[in-house]
Amino acid sequence: MSQLAPLMPYHRVNILTGTRTARLVEDTAEYAKQITKSKRPLLVLGPRLLKLTLGGRLLLEYALDIAKAKNIPTCATATVKSKMVELGVKPDSVYDIVEIINALKDPEWKGVRNEGNHDIVIFFGFRTDLGEQGLSVLKHFAPHLKTMTLCKYYYPHADFSLPNIRKDEQWKVFLENLIDSLGTKGGH
Amino acid sequence: MAEIKELTKKLEEIHQKIKAEVPWEPVGHTPMPEIPDLRSWDMRLLKTYKPWYAPFCDLCCFCTYGKCDLTEDRRGACGIDIATQQARIVLLACLMGCSAHAAHAGHILEILIEKHGKGKKIDLGTFIDLEAPNIRTVLGLKPETLGDLKTAIEYVYKEIAHLLDSTHMGQEGSYLDYESKALHAGMLDHVGMEVADIAQIVGFNYPTSVADTPLVDLGWNSVNKTKPIILFAGHNPATSTVVVDYLQENNLYDKVELCGVCCTAIETTRYSAKAKVIGPLSRQLFFIRSGIPDVIMTDEQCIRTDIPVEATKAGSALIAALDKAMYGLEDATEMETDEVVRKMVDEKKHFVILDPKKAAEVAVKVAMAIALKRRKEWLTEQEAVELAKKCTLCGMCEQVCPNLFDIGNGVSQVAKGNFDVIGEIFNQCIGCGKCEEECPRNIPIFKIMQVGASKETWKMRAGRGPVMDTEIRNVGAPITLGTIPGVIALVGCSNFPDIRDIAEIVDEFARRKYIVVLTGCSAMVAGMWKDSEGKTVYEKYPPDFDAGGVVNIGSCVANSHISGAAIKIANIFAALPLRANYEVMADYVLNRVGACGVAWGAMSQKAASIATGFNRLGVPVILGPHSSKYRRLYLSRKEEDEWKVMDARKKQIVETNEPSPEHLAYVCETKEKAMVMIPKLCIRKNDTPQGRSIKLNHYISLYKKYMGGGLPEDLPLYVRRDADIPLVYKKEVKAYLTEIGWKPKEPVGLPTLIGTYPTKVPVDSVIH
Repeated sequence: MSQLAPLMPYHRVNILTGTRTARLVEDTAEYAKQITKSKRPLLVLGPRLLKLTLGGRLLLEYALDIAKAKNIPTCATATVKSKMVELGVKPDSVYDIVEIINALKDPEWKGVRNEGNHDIVIFFGFRTDLGEQGLSVLKHFAPHLKTMTLCKYYYPHADFSLPNIRKDEQWKVFLENLIDSLGTKGGH
Repeated sequence: MAEIKELTKKLEEIHQKIKAEVPWEPVGHTPMPEIPDLRSWDMRLLKTYKPWYAPFCDLCCFCTYGKCDLTEDRRGACGIDIATQQARIVLLACLMGCSAHAAHAGHILEILIEKHGKGKKIDLGTFIDLEAPNIRTVLGLKPETLGDLKTAIEYVYKEIAHLLDSTHMGQEGSYLDYESKALHAGMLDHVGMEVADIAQIVGFNYPTSVADTPLVDLGWNSVNKTKPIILFAGHNPATSTVVVDYLQENNLYDKVELCGVCCTAIETTRYSAKAKVIGPLSRQLFFIRSGIPDVIMTDEQCIRTDIPVEATKAGSALIAALDKAMYGLEDATEMETDEVVRKMVDEKKHFVILDPKKAAEVAVKVAMAIALKRRKEWLTEQEAVELAKKCTLCGMCEQVCPNLFDIGNGVSQVAKGNFDVIGEIFNQCIGCGKCEEECPRNIPIFKIMQVGASKETWKMRAGRGPVMDTEIRNVGAPITLGTIPGVIALVGCSNFPDIRDIAEIVDEFARRKYIVVLTGCSAMVAGMWKDSEGKTVYEKYPPDFDAGGVVNIGSCVANSHISGAAIKIANIFAALPLRANYEVMADYVLNRVGACGVAWGAMSQKAASIATGFNRLGVPVILGPHSSKYRRLYLSRKEEDEWKVMDARKKQIVETNEPSPEHLAYVCETKEKAMVMIPKLCIRKNDTPQGRSIKLNHYISLYKKYMGGGLPEDLPLYVRRDADIPLVYKKEVKAYLTEIGWKPKEPVGLPTLIGTYPTKVPVDSVIH
């Protein structure tokens, strides 16, 4: 799924040289297709979702719309759970990022809904350095699953990544289109 | 038979080195351990705390077979796989760190033996009899003189060579064995650090056996800019102490200002409380670029490699005082002093001077000569505004910022006259200068940041060295029973997500009556915050190693006194023999001493080895988010893993289902998450019901405070019986436990891992 031609990650200090780099996806439909065909996706939510807003809405609200659109189970990391609860949503699981990645590495893990390990894991809202290192763990030690990111930066260690997006409006449109493509619209 | 004879001969040699005939304690199972000797202990740890590897890149480029692609189960041309390659890199990092401290120790020891003689007695004061817990535990040697310390450091050197050998291509093929070697390197590091600091205390007459060390000035505004200024950068006080002597001998002490960044600053204030601490490593480049230091003296470790370039730009003179960093400069050690001074003043040349006395004299004379010509002021606000107007918000600065800051936004706000944003960024800045280097408009971002920085000065307590035996006697019982809920060690470098995090963590846990100890850059930044009454944490809390105390142990090498304090609890309080008895000490610490390291800004290879040494001793360490770039953590999976221990009293293996401590090396993304992990990682199986109840009270209360309410998801794993439930949350917790069908379990009388893995150590060894 990954491509050979590397793209420069946004935070260049975290350049990760390698032979396998993420497939750059700009078309919402491709993301939606990957998620839709997945049997057991998982959305892992990071603390930057609580700090950033797009069009006056907290980034976390977009994430929850995506989860709701396809009934994707969620994993709240760091302090995300508290805001989710405030928004009336109970996370399916609470782990820190290194813990959920540690569990995902195990092909026999039962997953956050006890239905088996996940086949596609979507990361959203992490520091790029920590996020990238976490994705590297899964790239190398979890061949049984694919990874995807929704942040506005290119993540080379993912299987699917957005490009570096300079304009937040463009990012907002992508996320809204993704929510639409996955089948529902609206906020919490 | 030949092999047995050989081994016996080897053991005889070891016994000779450690003076085994001196019967202060029986010699344990592992005197001067080599790589295989503690391997079984390591493998037992690694069974529960499995390595978690986050490769930085897909390749190995160590030899000319490669670059080798290690993705998708590929092996390199030598046969290595990606996990083993990561473990190999971790071992190399630990060896770099261990070597830095060991070489520091060896160098300082050489100087002090030259000064005082090999026979100089080790005397750490009235309240410290157990002077060297790491050396005694690891080697089995009770060091009585500086000469004995040499035996210890020579052992470390030898082991480093063996470990480094193993990283050569085509040898070790197991990531677990590389981890065992990294743990070995970490343990050696604590020996090397202990040698360094004991030598310094003895040789430089640093404070010892005292808690209430002086409060010293902290922050660059504490420096008197009307005087000639000498800045020390690095870790080794061999030269800075001689500068103090020179000034005193020549009645110049009030005429020249001495200050330091990083650990030499802490060391110098242990020698002279008049010296000033500029701040952690993250302030180094800021201060140098200000042009305020007239002379910069570098020694070793964590000094910038481009100091000659920066010193020249800033108009400062530079003396490289140690061979670790000579920068390609001319060596003036043999040159006439006046000639060196003339060349530095008139020709603006920088020099290597390896003779501390000569370096001291030159530094003072040069500083006094050039101070008047110094460019010594910050930019004015108006100048900063004008310079900031050049910013086009291209984003290049943000792209290269290791802490991922939107610096351009801060600069553009300055252009509008608003310094708040850039001031905030300054607080979080690690001071690398990458932003300024990348700026296509050549905006002096550092100088603009300095305008937005706080002009405050602070106080920090001078480093005090080892924890006193008398203090251990007082706190040993409450720590092991759990009624002092934990010892929090904030250690390591200044690659913080936010510099204020450290003081906030200190304040939170000291207020809750944990014992908080600090070293290095963390000890400095803890002082860079004041409460509403204008007090720093050093002024707000007592300096005692006791509940609610905030203790600056000292510089990086003083980390050995933190591991030493843990060992002292086992030896002094629990009366377990420590001599060459590493497994018993580590097992005791892991199962019974509620201690947790926090290396929130860990950046260097030294931090990697220090933390790994703590891990081998059974102390878990929490790291900041960027520390995932160390590539390796030690994580358990609490519900999937087994948590069997031996109940030493009953001689039965018991499945506790209690993940305590849950991890050994763990990354938290946010300070808030760390606030919740710290109390959890202080839980130990040995806790009494009262102690467990206190620990859970803090765990729950901090969870509610920082995670937005509710109860921790894993709380049931830590409640053994009703008596463990904190009174204040009794109703809520009981309702939750009932809802999930929780069943009580018996606490383990005397938990130990000894007896659960192959070891020569009998289970009875852990019974005191």
